[in-house]
Amino acid sequence: MPDRSRLSNIPWGMIGVVMLIALIGLSAVYSATCTASGASSLFYKQIAWIVIGLIVMFIAVIPDYHTISRYAYALYAVSILMLVLVMFVGKSGMGAQRWLPLGPFAFQPSELSKLALMLALAKYYADSSKKDICLTDLTAPFIIAIVPFVLVLRQPDLGTAMMLGLTAAMLTLIAGLRLKAVLILLVIGAVISATVLFIPPVKKKIWSSLKPYQQNRIRAFIDPSSDPLGSGYHTNQSKIAVGSGRICGKGFRQGTQSQMEFLPERHTDFIFAVIAEERGLLGAGLLIMLYLFLMLFGIDTAKNAKDRLGALMASGIVSMLAIYIFINIGMAMGIAPVVGVPLPLASYGGTSVITTFLALGLLFNIQIRRFMLFY
Amino acid sequence: MRQEAPLDIQRRLPFFAAFIILMTIVLFVRLWFLQVVKGEYYYDLAENNRIRTIKIQPPRGVIYDRKGRPIVENVVVFDISIVPEDAHNLDDTIKRLASLIKIEPARVKEAVQNAAPTRLKYEPVKVKEEAPWEEVAVVEAHQDELPGVIVEPVHKRHYAYGGFGSHQLGYIGKVSQAQRKQEQADINLLIGQGGIEKVHDRLLRGAAGRRMVQVNAAGMKVKDLGIEDPRPGRDLYLTIDLDVQRAAEEALGNRRGAVVAMDPGTGEILALVSHPNFDPNLFPRGISARDWERLTNDPSHPLYNRAIQSVYPPGSTFKIIVSLAGLDTGIIKPDDKVTCNGFIRYGKHTFRCWKKGGHGTVSFHRALVESCDVYFYTMGERIGYDRVALYAKKLGLGALTGIRLPDEKPGFVPTPAWKEQKLKEPWYPGDTYINSIGQGFLLMSPIQAARMIAAVANGGIFYRPELILKSRDRESGSVTIYQPERSELRAVIDKSALDEVRRALIGVVNEPGGTGQASRIAAFLVAGKTGTAQVIAQKEPGKRLTEHLEDHAWFVAYAPADSPKIAVSVLVENGGHGGAAAAPVARKVIEEYLKDAGQKQAI
Repeated sequence: MPDRSRLSNIPWGMIGVVMLIALIGLSAVYSATCTASGASSLFYKQIAWIVIGLIVMFIAVIPDYHTISRYAYALYAVSILMLVLVMFVGKSGMGAQRWLPLGPFAFQPSELSKLALMLALAKYYADSSKKDICLTDLTAPFIIAIVPFVLVLRQPDLGTAMMLGLTAAMLTLIAGLRLKAVLILLVIGAVISATVLFIPPVKKKIWSSLKPYQQNRIRAFIDPSSDPLGSGYHTNQSKIAVGSGRICGKGFRQGTQSQMEFLPERHTDFIFAVIAEERGLLGAGLLIMLYLFLMLFGIDTAKNAKDRLGALMASGIVSMLAIYIFINIGMAMGIAPVVGVPLPLASYGGTSVITTFLALGLLFNIQIRRFMLFY
Repeated sequence: MRQEAPLDIQRRLPFFAAFIILMTIVLFVRLWFLQVVKGEYYYDLAENNRIRTIKIQPPRGVIYDRKGRPIVENVVVFDISIVPEDAHNLDDTIKRLASLIKIEPARVKEAVQNAAPTRLKYEPVKVKEEAPWEEVAVVEAHQDELPGVIVEPVHKRHYAYGGFGSHQLGYIGKVSQAQRKQEQADINLLIGQGGIEKVHDRLLRGAAGRRMVQVNAAGMKVKDLGIEDPRPGRDLYLTIDLDVQRAAEEALGNRRGAVVAMDPGTGEILALVSHPNFDPNLFPRGISARDWERLTNDPSHPLYNRAIQSVYPPGSTFKIIVSLAGLDTGIIKPDDKVTCNGFIRYGKHTFRCWKKGGHGTVSFHRALVESCDVYFYTMGERIGYDRVALYAKKLGLGALTGIRLPDEKPGFVPTPAWKEQKLKEPWYPGDTYINSIGQGFLLMSPIQAARMIAAVANGGIFYRPELILKSRDRESGSVTIYQPERSELRAVIDKSALDEVRRALIGVVNEPGGTGQASRIAAFLVAGKTGTAQVIAQKEPGKRLTEHLEDHAWFVAYAPADSPKIAVSVLVENGGHGGAAAAPVARKVIEEYLKDAGQKQAI
């Protein structure tokens, strides 16, 4: 029986990649938040989040992922419960109610729900073991996905809700959605979009149901230069920051855009702009390459997984990472709407950092058990 | 071997990988485009078109008197400041600046260092406040050689009449650390730190606006991107009448004391004086350590608002209250007679009347007009101290008037229970005697005295003393009027008792032998009462006292006696006799206020 030492199976190289990403992010968090008198408390908190994240990651490697998957629905239920709870006792921030107070900290249930949703869907598809999914098979996954989607949308957090939807869609594609079903869904989507966009009463109703900041962000995405002081401000400033970094960057703490208070969320959602400005094409390019390694490693894990569950979980984790990475970096460079989602491992934020490490722990879990048999 | 190998999924994974690689390429292309193709363009934008948000502080509300004459205004002055981030070489820039204007380079460097811990990035550090016009011009002309140096126009608070009314106007100063947290104010904000400036700070302050500007590499403005106008503070119209205030200030002169004049029909304060006063103009740009020490170490406490914060024995003005207590309860009949031989004995103790030879046999009217102590010793005992204390409280003693100024003191009305608890001594009949002529433990502030005499004038109604007539929004012109506010306190006193007392108060000023004749005015009937509050219990006859042990002089009055329009209280610290020291001050205040009305009546 090929019972290799599990420890030696841990992909240490990949853990090195993960740490490198976290450190690039951490140095940018330092640069973006420090004051004349030195590092801000956010920097030290971020160190704490990364350390906690690493511990969580190693813990997530220990039990067999099948054991973990057994609790997928329970975790899903807990995440839904917390999303409901946040509606009542949540702390508000920037026009939305997203945080659960947790002693001196605040916990963001929507960040956990993305992982819980992904695990629940992976378990569902693995259990159903249908290799061809047609539209009628989508009822249960649809319900699983729509509940957290609506709850997050109501916070309101359009960005995270979109992320949830995209992750679910991507995982469904990989699980084996028929081409015919894909086409039908695309047509339905096109019809709904057309209705919303081209039938004035519907358009008006939908538009007025959005929060003003959401309207502004949509307007700004369509034409960021329309209002340099208002909605398009983030995008324009972020583009200037990225572009002005040129090839070599302006140097640590030398970014005029990053050091100025041009972006209120520069240590969270716009951390990429800080990195690109201060580290240039070399730094930002390295970061993107590191993310690419990580994602391809994840796909490799899925490919080598010994069963459907492992393959689906690994693919789901990669989907989740990929969507966040592409949308966040695209947003910083003005090719994706400003939706306010963190850059995994790099952005400041406890819930996001720890959840990402947890997901990576699961990925490594699948990776080191690829040769093992059931017991 | 593998169980249930997920072949179908494996088949799809290359597409997934291809998608991820494709998206990564998209990001790379975009990054290349922004940083390499358009890198120079964005670099220039970042370097030369930096966008700054500059806070615009609104002008504070102007304070006018009741007739719309400005008392507190804003003047524009220019500060020369430096933005250290923009000064390519800070030392060089400071050296160059020092060659152009009078500054000490070492001090400027120190200021920059001191600001470092709390300063936000790109927040200017003041180099020279209120720079003279020539220096401003020189700096403007040499802007190119002075990267980071800016000229900031600043509104400076200006108190047009200096110390005039300084205690109610208050002053403004830099926010303290504690206030900064509470008010979420930024470090350079000036907020009200005393008087009306403090109490109505929120109204006067307005709200800051901001301007977004593009500045070049030297920090100089290239163009305005947008502006969010500040909301100027509301203008306040005070109930103070500048002429009456001036008359009161001048009449009190350089003596220590206080004058309060109010409209008995509304509680509006017409003048409020506390001497010595201070010049609020010392404060707005940060008071110098020397000035501050001088103000706080001055033994006559110029920062103290004597009108509301100092309490004194009411002296004979308290006889008004004893009179009302006696007449209203029916214990004193106006015709009851008391014979005054100049003193009264109780056991071993002798209680003197202020008039050595005594007043002879007096009934109520003459007793109050001549302020006979023996009469009020006798009547105080007859009425009983508990009832006297009850009426003292009915007339507002021992309680805050509620004037909206900081740190009012309530004064004190003693009770036998208090004395036993505090001094471990019983309440002696002698205590009733001396408290009945306003000595002993009683304490009253000038504003309480004014409100008391106003209530006598208006038939027992108490108003909250009000300093604000209205506030006005400078832009829209909309006005909020402050309505007179009645206190819960209301002295319900029998009209015949009140009339009897009022007649006597007219007598005090207008009859031969009255103690307050110095306040008589030809055109009007003034009603009033003198008071002379002893600083030490009983002076030895014939011995001169040092100034600080001299009696405090009181005078309370209202006029015209038939339809009162003004009520006044005057206190002169260590001024001697109330009739001589305080009554003339009240006369000048009343004369000034009724001047216009007087011309009409004289016809």
